[in-house]
Amino acid sequence: MKDYRILKTKVYTVSELNQEIRKNLESGYPDVWIEGEVSNFYFHEKKHMYFDLKDESSKIKVVMFRHSNKDLLFEIEEGLHILINGYVSAYEKRGEYQVIALRARPVGRGALILAFEQLKARLEKKGYFKHEHKKKIPVLPGRIGLVTSTGGSVIRDIILVLKERFDNFHLIARNVNVQGATSSDEVCDAIDDLCEYGVDVIILARGGGSLEDLWAFNTEKVADKIYKCPIPLISAIGHETDYTISDFVADKRAATPSVAGEVVILNKKEMINSLRIINRRIRSLVQSRINIYSKEAAFLIKRRIFLKSETLLGRFIQNTGELKIRLLGSKEKLIGARKNKVVDLCKIVDRRNIIKRIYINRIALKTLDMKLFFVIKNYISRNKNKLKNLLGKIGERNPSAVIKRGFALLYGIPGNESIKGIKDAKINQKIKVLLKDGILKVKVFDKINKKLELGLKDEN
Amino acid sequence: MKIEEMNFEESIKKLEEIVKKLEDENISLEESMKNFEMGIKLSSSCLKKLNEAEGKIEKLTRSEDGKLIAKELDLEEEN
Repeated sequence: MKDYRILKTKVYTVSELNQEIRKNLESGYPDVWIEGEVSNFYFHEKKHMYFDLKDESSKIKVVMFRHSNKDLLFEIEEGLHILINGYVSAYEKRGEYQVIALRARPVGRGALILAFEQLKARLEKKGYFKHEHKKKIPVLPGRIGLVTSTGGSVIRDIILVLKERFDNFHLIARNVNVQGATSSDEVCDAIDDLCEYGVDVIILARGGGSLEDLWAFNTEKVADKIYKCPIPLISAIGHETDYTISDFVADKRAATPSVAGEVVILNKKEMINSLRIINRRIRSLVQSRINIYSKEAAFLIKRRIFLKSETLLGRFIQNTGELKIRLLGSKEKLIGARKNKVVDLCKIVDRRNIIKRIYINRIALKTLDMKLFFVIKNYISRNKNKLKNLLGKIGERNPSAVIKRGFALLYGIPGNESIKGIKDAKINQKIKVLLKDGILKVKVFDKINKKLELGLKDEN
Repeated sequence: MKIEEMNFEESIKKLEEIVKKLEDENISLEESMKNFEMGIKLSSSCLKKLNEAEGKIEKLTRSEDGKLIAKELDLEEEN
């Protein structure tokens, strides 16, 4: 082997050569655009991105450093077709050449749309949109929180709708920029503030706009904040056709801000109306039940003992009447007889005595009248007592009278449900026994299934 | 649960239950009177709740010492 030193050719160290190659590459390809499919993607500590770009027959190494990739809207992922811009360089340590990417964009669709789809897919996978995470929007929120631009028209629309539906609503608005670089951070802070201040529901509202305008509501930050928000949240961003990530994460989506006004509070007039209808329904249901029971009661009264007692009563009333007539008749007769006697006497007795006689007779008549009055009164009051007794007997049909006769009523503890048969009670259940002079609290220790036959037929 | 402790939704739900119970012909008279009383009380407490809220439109801001304060919102001023 020839001594290479004699040839006077330049001899490189490895480092020297790699350095020169790097320099040549960098000056030869200072600004290139390359399109290809991402493979072997590796995101080192979430800082620098390493991947290959390939086509059907070849591939090239690509590095995208932190300062270049931190503002990427979409995520570079395996299989993605992208266009990158940068320069060609070499990694001297390994003697490998590579492209240093400064910019990247998806091929075939917009970066924002791709970013939206990627975030949506990722959050969906994390379960952010799941129905079981959605909190119920309260029907009657005391305080309604609103995150929007207080200088915009959206807040006016919402207030208008709220006023129409529920005149005495309480709205607490928190102003934010609904677009721009700080927007998503402001929205997050506003949600925190409303949670801290205390509201029953939060509305996130913004008018329509381009995908770029609505971007704050498509960020992972805001999605995270909504997902973790302990208060029910309604997302009302853009027009009916606009969908944002916040719409998917929120407990409820309102197609427009005005719709949010309708969703957040019930219509007071409608509610008052339906309450009135319920109230009327309850009353009429109970009234018809009372009517049914009254009819049953009327029917019962016509039966058996009640019928008997009615005839008895009737007989007493009739008797009293007859007696009264008889007594009154005899009184008339008596008076008539006396009168006749007086007339007779007048004929016989000296005229001078007549006045005196008449006077005496008048007194006698009066006494008689008094006596008769007392006789009648006594008779009636005696019969009144009999009537009372009879009514008392009828009264015994009601439960309190039954208790007075020595029977007991049973109620379960603590439900207070009436115990009518052994099926109504459980072993070891506590029971209240209502007696005429108080209440016994007892415990069921056994159940014996045997029907009581004595006299029950007559009672029922 | 006591009527006073129920929120609006619970009250409405209970009212619906009461109507359903009262519609059941097998319910005892005692039970129907109990439900009737409860129903009338609930519906009037719901009406009360609908009217008791105070209408306000406020704006939430943070004061210099970091406290959250809600002040009346003047939309004209915001523009």
